[in-house]
Amino acid sequence: MVDQNLLLIAYILPIAFGLVLMTKAGDGLGASLSGRNPLLKHARRRHMLGMNLVVFAGFAVSVHTLWISNKISEGGNVCSSATVFSCDDVLGNAQYNTDPVFNIPWGMIGIFAFCGLMFITNCVSKEPDALWAENYLKYGKYMTALGLPIIALLISYEVAMEKICQFCTMAHIANVVCLFGFWRAGKMHEEGLWNDEEPVEAEAEKEEGKKFW
Amino acid sequence: MKTNTEADVRTDTGIKIMALFFVAIIFLAVTTDPIKTGTKEGDRAPPLEGLAFNGSSWYAFDMDDYLTVNWTAGDVEGQWLLVEFMDTDCPFCVRSAGEMGQDADYFMKRVGDWQGPVVNFIASATELDIPGHDSSQDEIEAFRNKNGEEVCAGSSCASRDGESHHFVYIDDLDQDNMKEWKVPGTPAYFLIQPDGIVAWSSTENTDEKVREAIFRLTLNNEEA
Repeated sequence: MVDQNLLLIAYILPIAFGLVLMTKAGDGLGASLSGRNPLLKHARRRHMLGMNLVVFAGFAVSVHTLWISNKISEGGNVCSSATVFSCDDVLGNAQYNTDPVFNIPWGMIGIFAFCGLMFITNCVSKEPDALWAENYLKYGKYMTALGLPIIALLISYEVAMEKICQFCTMAHIANVVCLFGFWRAGKMHEEGLWNDEEPVEAEAEKEEGKKFW
Repeated sequence: MKTNTEADVRTDTGIKIMALFFVAIIFLAVTTDPIKTGTKEGDRAPPLEGLAFNGSSWYAFDMDDYLTVNWTAGDVEGQWLLVEFMDTDCPFCVRSAGEMGQDADYFMKRVGDWQGPVVNFIASATELDIPGHDSSQDEIEAFRNKNGEEVCAGSSCASRDGESHHFVYIDDLDQDNMKEWKVPGTPAYFLIQPDGIVAWSSTENTDEKVREAIFRLTLNNEEA
């Protein structure tokens, strides 16, 4: 079986790249990438691409976490380790691996949460100027903020077990990055950076028109 | 024709996200076969941990140390577990102590000619929330070793039925294990396969004794 820790890179890369696209560092990156994709010239488009990447990585890592939970319940070892990083010990602990209210595995809760966030970021990406878009971004911010106490609870479980689940941590990071993304999107609205006053496609068409005439 | 493009985006996205969700669920359903953690037959037994007394000293016990993860039915090398939830002040537990000791010695292959796999006996001693039930580690030691001045269910622990036991007693005076195993009362018995799956529980088989269950299940598995 593939080393599970290697698979972590598959989640770290999109989350890190998504975070870069959302920050000032993404401006330079956007400029260099705009040669390939002119749409990345716009801060809002870069920002939403970054958010979509992070949310999708969060969704994928949640599915992976639930898969590991299921495999452990079958009696298998997926990522057990004698070190502090041992997701088997965390996800296989029946005392902590489900939520205390409904007994739903945490991985499934992550899937639901990131599906909801994915819906928001995808909708807003496609219709950024819709009347509901700003409200949706607020809902996303509240959802991810609600995730913070849940993450704190899960970290307290890890502290109690003296073990860290790398995959769960990746999902937590994705949630925190999304919270930052939704907060920054709100700021962009406030600062008037949200709208693409000069859509790139239109500019390109103008250029084409000039050439023709 | 009137069209509402905003609604289109949300409906379209909603359908795509739902499709992705179901793809993930189908992937999980196809590639895994999760086993519920619980104490019903067929469930994976919950953790059983705590300080345990082996007759001379207390040490950190973890049931996982006894399990064979890759055990398959018929493998006689795998050792089974018989977990007893008891209270040293429970009259039923005191009365059944003699029979438990005999069964443990036989199935742990200390005496007799048991041909089946080893069945390790483990007792989890709790303190029920009933007036008159006042246990302690000293009382657990006295109950197990059948000695000392402690009182078990109104009479001396040293005078309980049977001989001293040769299996470990876990201190569950705080009822942690008992609550996790959802034990309704004492005594309660669970037969655990070497891979940690609950094979039999006394609460689901009130007409069958521990000894009968071990014969039926371990020998059947051996034949299989």
